[in-house]
Amino acid sequence: MKIDQLIKALDCEVVHRRKETGVKDLKHFVVSDLMSDVLLVDGDVDLLITSLATTQAIRTADIVSAIGVIVVNGKAVTADMKVSAKELDVTLLKTKLSSFEVCGTIHHLKGQE
Amino acid sequence: MTDKGIPIKMEESTSLILDLIYQLKIKDVMTRNLVIASPEDSLDHIKTLMKQRNVTGIPIVKKDRLLGILSIDDIFKALDSGYMQELAEKHMSKKLVMLEEDMPLAFAISYFDKFKYGRFPVVDKNNLLVGMITSRDINVGLLMAINKEVARMEELLAQTTPVDAHHIRKMFRIRKYDFEHAGNASNRIKKLLVERKLDPKDIRRVAVAMYELEINIAVHSDGGTLTVIIDQDHAEITAKDSAPGIEHPELALQEGYSTANEWIKSLGFGAGMGLANIRRVSDSFDFQSALGKGTTVRAVIHFKRKEEKSHDH
Repeated sequence: MKIDQLIKALDCEVVHRRKETGVKDLKHFVVSDLMSDVLLVDGDVDLLITSLATTQAIRTADIVSAIGVIVVNGKAVTADMKVSAKELDVTLLKTKLSSFEVCGTIHHLKGQE
Repeated sequence: MTDKGIPIKMEESTSLILDLIYQLKIKDVMTRNLVIASPEDSLDHIKTLMKQRNVTGIPIVKKDRLLGILSIDDIFKALDSGYMQELAEKHMSKKLVMLEEDMPLAFAISYFDKFKYGRFPVVDKNNLLVGMITSRDINVGLLMAINKEVARMEELLAQTTPVDAHHIRKMFRIRKYDFEHAGNASNRIKKLLVERKLDPKDIRRVAVAMYELEINIAVHSDGGTLTVIIDQDHAEITAKDSAPGIEHPELALQEGYSTANEWIKSLGFGAGMGLANIRRVSDSFDFQSALGKGTTVRAVIHFKRKEEKSHDH
């Protein structure tokens, strides 16, 4: 699944986008509002899906080498988050959908592959 | 000197200078060893006093109470008009602008800008004269404080200078509840490791251990330091804080045990996984903590050698 498919399917607002993300095949998704749980994940993380709208979501994504973060529930993205996303070059997307709906959509898209 | 003001513009100053002029108090820089005269002294006597003690203004004091100031300008006038035998109380300036000893230095600086006097008398809470302050006192006091601070910075810099190209040693200061910056040190170290093209799994382990430690200091301590030493085959991360310490160290290592409040949890932390997670990613891990004495956590991660990696496959 490519990031552009996801942006379209989830009706995302793109806050920051890493340049080379268009070609990457996204396979590994982690959904959590607790950053400690994200750090516990052993395998690869491509995208972090969270309702935590603070810089720590961006920083955590960088630590686990995820290419980006999707902030759910239409939460406002803070100025700090924008700065961090640019600085760490982490793709930052925002959607009005809930975590549940985002997961459902991704599952559906995966099934079509 | 054409202008007695002090050239420190608040809006143009570095944060170090701003910190210092608000931290330092007038009593830290003022002159305490005062040359004083009584209101009954003659101007001639005061002129001699000024010459002997090399001062240009003398407070006129009676029973520790400041009555006025006699400046060298007053002496010039008296010399011109020939009344040097008259008493100080008749010619001293009684319109006094005074500073209090507990005011920050910034106050004194603004007074020098505002009033253009060469000196201000300093009084204590009971309005008794305790010192005098001149712009020279401010310059000397500020210079000494800056010198001390620069010495401290140089010491820090020496600690962060790499011994060789493969050796990194960095120390970061982490502030309590500063969630805006907490994690920044880990992101920076991670970037360095990526640039060194280390194994991604090793990078992840170092970054995770460091990030958890960084957040721990911000959440649970009164602030502390994070020191990272990295060479070709291992990383050593030491987190040190001075207070308050961990009440139940054995519980703190248990997964899910947390003393974080709801506010911290709403920020995405305090799930009680931190220390256990650091131990999980480390090859060696130890921590010491005592209530009231602070906590030290040390995590060591050995990098996989290229040969070992090929055996894995």
